[in-house]
Parts: sequence; C-alpha cells; structure tokens
Amino acid sequence: MLSRVAESLFWMSRYFERAENTARFLDVNFNLLLDLNKITHIENPNYWVALILVTSDRDRFNNLYSEYSAHSVTDYLVFNKNNPNSIISCIGLARENARSIIESISSEMWEQVNNLYHYLQNITPQFVHNDPYSFYKEIKNASHLFQGITDNTFSHNEGWDFIQIAKYLERSDNIARLIDVKYHMLLSEAQSQPEIVEGSEDIIQWMAVLKSCSALEAFRKVYLSKIDPDNILRFLILDRTFPRSINFSVCAAEDALWRISGSSRHRYVNNADRLIGKIEAELSYTAMEDIYAKGLHTYLEDLEQRLVKVGEQVHLTYFAYHTPDIESSDIAEALPFTGVAGGRANWSQAQQHQQQQ
Amino acid sequence: MSRFFERYEADPSHFFDEVIAPDGIPRSHYDKLLHRFGQFSIDDVKARREVVNIFFRNQGITFTVYGEEEGVERIFPFDLIPRVVPAHEWQTIEKGLVQRITAINEFLYDIYHTQKILKDKIIPPELILGSQHFRREFVGVTPPLGIYIHVTGSDIIRDKEGNYLVLEDNLRTPSGVSYMLQNRQAMKRAFPVLFDKYKIRPIENYPQELLRTLQEISPNSRREPNVVVLTPGIYNSAYFEHSFLARQMGVELTEGKDLVVNDNKVYTRTTRGLERVDVIYRRVDDAFLDPLVFRPDSKLGVAGLVNAYRKGNVTLANAIGTGVADDKVIYSFVPAIIKYYLGEDPILQNVPTWLASNPSDLKYILENLGSLVVKAANESGGYGMLIGPESTIEQQESFAEMIVANPRNYIAQPTISLSRHPSFYNDTELYGCHIDLRPYVLYGKTVTIVPGGLTRVALKRGSLVVNSSQGGGSKDTWVVDE
Repeated sequence: MLSRVAESLFWMSRYFERAENTARFLDVNFNLLLDLNKITHIENPNYWVALILVTSDRDRFNNLYSEYSAHSVTDYLVFNKNNPNSIISCIGLARENARSIIESISSEMWEQVNNLYHYLQNITPQFVHNDPYSFYKEIKNASHLFQGITDNTFSHNEGWDFIQIAKYLERSDNIARLIDVKYHMLLSEAQSQPEIVEGSEDIIQWMAVLKSCSALEAFRKVYLSKIDPDNILRFLILDRTFPRSINFSVCAAEDALWRISGSSRHRYVNNADRLIGKIEAELSYTAMEDIYAKGLHTYLEDLEQRLVKVGEQVHLTYFAYHTPDIESSDIAEALPFTGVAGGRANWSQAQQHQQQQ
Repeated sequence: MSRFFERYEADPSHFFDEVIAPDGIPRSHYDKLLHRFGQFSIDDVKARREVVNIFFRNQGITFTVYGEEEGVERIFPFDLIPRVVPAHEWQTIEKGLVQRITAINEFLYDIYHTQKILKDKIIPPELILGSQHFRREFVGVTPPLGIYIHVTGSDIIRDKEGNYLVLEDNLRTPSGVSYMLQNRQAMKRAFPVLFDKYKIRPIENYPQELLRTLQEISPNSRREPNVVVLTPGIYNSAYFEHSFLARQMGVELTEGKDLVVNDNKVYTRTTRGLERVDVIYRRVDDAFLDPLVFRPDSKLGVAGLVNAYRKGNVTLANAIGTGVADDKVIYSFVPAIIKYYLGEDPILQNVPTWLASNPSDLKYILENLGSLVVKAANESGGYGMLIGPESTIEQQESFAEMIVANPRNYIAQPTISLSRHPSFYNDTELYGCHIDLRPYVLYGKTVTIVPGGLTRVALKRGSLVVNSSQGGGSKDTWVVDE
C-alpha cells in the first residue's frame, strides 16, 4: 500500500477517535456538574480549566478567551477552527484525509465521515447549549457507526491495521488524559479556595470518569458496587478485556502493528514493534502499588510520552519511507496533536489549482 | 405536450433547438421523455431534484471554488432533463471522431519524427516550431504503439442548421468523464421509469475501457502492467475525478511525492518498499511533470520522470508534447491534416477560424472584434477569451492590443449560436440553455468511444459559456436506438 495512503488512513482514524474522545470529555463534565449542582454550579471554572489542561494547549486557549466557563470551553473544544483539536477541526481533518484517499476507502466510510462533517456545519452553539447530551451522543454514535462501517465494509488487511493502530494509540492516550482530568481538578481546587469536599463528591467524580469511558456498567459487572478509586483505576488502566481501558487499547495496537510487520513476542523487526511491546509487557506485570509508588500523575504522563514515541516510530517506519528530508525532531513535535492534512493544507495549493481542460 | 413544455419558447429563428423542431412539433426521439415529464407536477420535479442532490453530495461530487473559506465545495450544477441523441446522429459523431483522432495522432507522430507535413508546406513550420507546447526534446522519441493521444475529449457543438461541428480538441488532460458516469447514475435513481422506456446505450464500461487502453500501452509485456493515476492533489478542481477513475479502475491514485525514479525506472513508495510502475495516467500538465526538465519549482512532479519516459521504461498517457496539436491555431489546420494523412474529407467540420498570425485575417479580426469570439491559442477552461457581442469597448481595445503584440497567440471565430436545450430554471419552468457535447475518445490498440459524453449546459440565462469554472452545469446524455 502507498505510504501516503497508509498515513492518511492513520490520521483519518486518529482524528475521528480524537473527536469522539473530546465529546466524551465534555459530556462527562456536564453530567458531573449536574450531579454536583447541590454543592457547586455549572460555571465553576475549576471543572472547565481541567478540560483545557488535559488537552494540553492552555496558551492557545488563553489567547482566545478571557475566562474558563461552560460557554468558552465548549466553544473552544467544539467549534473553534483555530483549535486543531476541536471537534469541528478533527472531523474536518478526518474528512480531508478521507477525501485524499477516497478511492482506497469504501464509499460507505466516506459517506459517514462526510455526513458527520455536513451535520457539524449546521450545528450552532445554542443547539449544544440547549441539549448537550444529544449533541455529544450524536458525535459518539457517529464514531461508533464509522468504526462499525469500517469493520464491515473495508478489507481487514494492512490498511485496516493502520486504522486500528491509530484508533488505539489515540484512545489509550485519551484515557490516560481523562483519568488525569481528575488529578487536575483536585489540583486546581487545592490552588483556589477549596470547596467542602464530601466523600460522596469524590465518588461521583470517579463515576463520571467511568461514564465518560462508557465503562460504568462493565465496571459494575467486575467490581459490583465497590466504587472506590483503586478499583476504578485498575479497571481503566489495567483491565485486558474492556475496550476502553489502556491495557486493552495497547494490546490492540500491538496486535495490529505485529500483523503488519510479522513480528511476534520476543521477536520484533522494527522500533515501533519494540516500543509498543515494551509498554504492553510492562502493563501486563504492573500492579496498582507500582503506579502509586510512581505517583499517578507522573505515571500517566510518562505513559503518554511513550505512546507518542510509538506514533513517531510508526511514522518513520511506514510513512516517511525514502523521504530523508523529514527530520525526526520535527515529527516528535508534530505528534500527537497535529496531523498530516493540517500540515499539508498550505502545501503547494497554488500549483494544484492548475487548469483542467 | 406536457405542462412544462407548453410554456417553453424554442426561438427557432435564432437557434437550433434540440427538442422542438422549427414547426413547433417535438422531435420524435423526445416523445417519450415529454410524455413522462407531462405527468410530473412541480413537486414531483422538486422531489427528484432532492434525490439527485443527495446522491451527488453523498458521493462527494463537488467541485472546488477557489478563494473562499467557507463552503469551498459546491455541487456541480446538474439539469434534470437529459439530452437524447438518436443512433444515426451518434454514428456520424463517432465516425467523425475516429477519423479526426486517428489523423491528429499521425500528425503528432510526424511532427515528432520526420516532419513531412512541414516539408510539404501544408502547415507553416514556424507555427509548429514556435508553439509553446512543441517539445523539441522529444523529437525521435517513439511512445509504445506510436500513440500520443490516449484519452481525448473533443468539444462538439451544433450550429443553427443543427450540423455537428468540432469546437476544440482537448488533447492534453480532458476532464469531465466522471460527471458523465455519475450523471447517469443520478438519473437512474431519479427516473427509473423513463429508463425503461428508452433503449439507452450503456456507458458504464468506460473505466474498464480506459484501463484496457492504459494496459495496452505498457512498455513491458512480460508482466501484468502496473498502472497508476497521477493527480496534482486534493486541492485540484478535478481531484474528485482523478480519485473516482482510480477507484473505478482499481489502480493506485498517486501524487508526485508517491513516486520516485531510480535508475530511470519509476516506483511507488509503499509501506513495503518500492514497487515498479509501468503506465502513468497523468492528470498533471507537462510543465509540472518533472522539476529537472520543466518548471524547477514544481512540487507536483517527479524528479527524473522524463528520463525514465525517454528510456521507454514508463508510458505517460497522454504523451508529452500533445499540446502542440491542441493549440487553437493548429486546430484550424485539422481538416487539412485529415486530408493529408488519410486522404479523406472530414466527416465533422471545424468552426470557421481566422488566424491573427495571418495578415489578412488579422485585419479582419481587428475590424470585427464586436461580432467575433477571440481566443488565446493555449488557454482552456473559458479563460483568456473575448466574446465580441457581450464585450465592452474597453475590453475590445485591450484585446486588440494583446492581439497585435502577439498575433501567433490569437484566433477568432464567428459567434456561433450554440444549439439550445430546454433546461429547468429554479425547477419551476423550462428555459432554452445553450449546450455542447464532449464525448471521450480512447486510443490504445484501437479507437474506442463509449456512446455518450458530457453535455455541458450554460445554465445562466443567455450565457454562451458552458465551462464549469464559469458557472456552467451538465446534463445526462442518452444515445438511444430507435
């Protein structure tokens, strides 16, 4: 398969997954604040700043908005085209990537990403404000539909594997960030005047994290109603069977990488395989005590960095083939929050506009 | 007559009308169509319009409007009333095009080899050797089977008497064939009953015919030819078509950076390493193909491609240098070219053309700017054109200056009253819009033309320009057996 096609499949999938996860971040925050409305109010900036912190572009936000509120954060994460990670930007970029390989994907896949794009063009901030639940549900469902369509209309060969790698790398990164939201909330509460934190509030916050991974029901089946932070973290980080846990996602990414290269356990053929194998092996033998010993926040940050490295190696191994002009330092900076199409937008557009007879 | 057609005015004293004969009676091959549309209310038409719009939008059939941030993609305007071409008329078009394309190919071969036609003084040598599309580097290079113009799309119009005339031969990278195919799909969805009533010749095999043609010109007969399509990229206005054709043929769509030349052989960069390429259906202009040979600033091309081509390791379709016969000045010699190489009279006539490089013609052109259409010899897409009757004095004066400064670059033709075809205006009434026809001609071991083509419509009231870049639309074209 053409390297460029593989790369566009990768980014199409990655942006779609990112849009879904952003919708989850926002949805859970609304839910959380509604659950907590007895002790706080929906505009409590501590809850909104956390969302900006986990998407790690606070500076860009501060350049555009003066306060952290439901309105400004929603606008930034859903509609703002200057934010390359807003839902509207992600779907635009997913579609742009899909469009550049429209002959390689199934027409059903194209129709789905194209439909969502057109749907978003007609959505107003007012609509989201009035009915956030329906809007985020729509995005999540559109993403699920896209994955289902992909699984059922697109051959499960190399191209499909690149889609899986992108999806699961993005997802494991996002779960780590989502868990980290909780950390940031506690942090920002400690910095400002802390409100009275009751024991039940803590549990409600953790339940919200589970909900945002659609994990509450699956969690209950394993741990019954013992909703304590320890079990929740174990479930979201280390569970090997739940599709929105980090361990599951890393395993799935590893499987896809190995199918492409023909690697197997103890025998890797490239650095991408080696790095993902290392993460997977460590997760398999990690206990919660190891994570606490390192500190949850540090552990998650470290994991995110290592996932970035995997993405970088995928790029060097499969996409940058025979293009020595791309330096690895550029790529490290470009990942994970910018994509190919974003960078390509200015690329020789003028020449492409040449006349057609 | 249906309610839509009752109020339709054909204006036969000025234009040839495709549907209504001068006596006011519909032409017989339109009877069934008129009858069917007669059963429709305005709401029926709107409902079908919606079906068609959704089809085009879902397929991503849009074209790009440059220079706008929002909604840069628009649906290509499509008219619901199909054009019907009876089989006997199609036979003339088909024969005429085969003759014309065969002769032009012989001409190109001659120009890039012995140049007999110049020595015999049929065409003044300076017109060829001074043409900006003449590639002297390729004199003596013979493409496989001696074929230069594998894919062409001649524009055909009808004059006031209904004669089919060739307006221009697009011999470089003609576009629009995907619209021909998709228009048919859209019509099948919206008007299934009507299809049942006509014996419409199918065009759906075009992609297979194109692939067969491209495979036939492979330089390497020992293995299954690896064919790729080369596009300028997703920001090109015809990108949809490039990807559509690649998908329909089941071949890779490549951009310049997907290709690499090593030891005069062309390869694609893949996730598994390099793969050899035999035939490139390129939709990139000559000038951008290879930064080492043509424009050094080209980011769309492949360094070393031209040498690989010259060595005969890869075939380009169309060949490099076909633009020399595409030139609107050379166009005026096509009847002579047909006579010279084939010894036949042209079946399809040219539009009368005056050459500014010819002193007596120049005088005539300058004196009659207000009634002529002046065209730059090497532009396409409706750019660089003066339509005399619609122009202002200032425009005429500025054109006159340009013509005098560079007479080789201009030709003039009488303002032809393109034939008109009833087309929907706001889906509520019919209006006579000017149309042309672009059939697509494939040239491999044989010349193949799928029965049909793209009928372009000037949907702006009274406009003569059918190019999509200038607000034109299209309609489905049915070649029907009577």
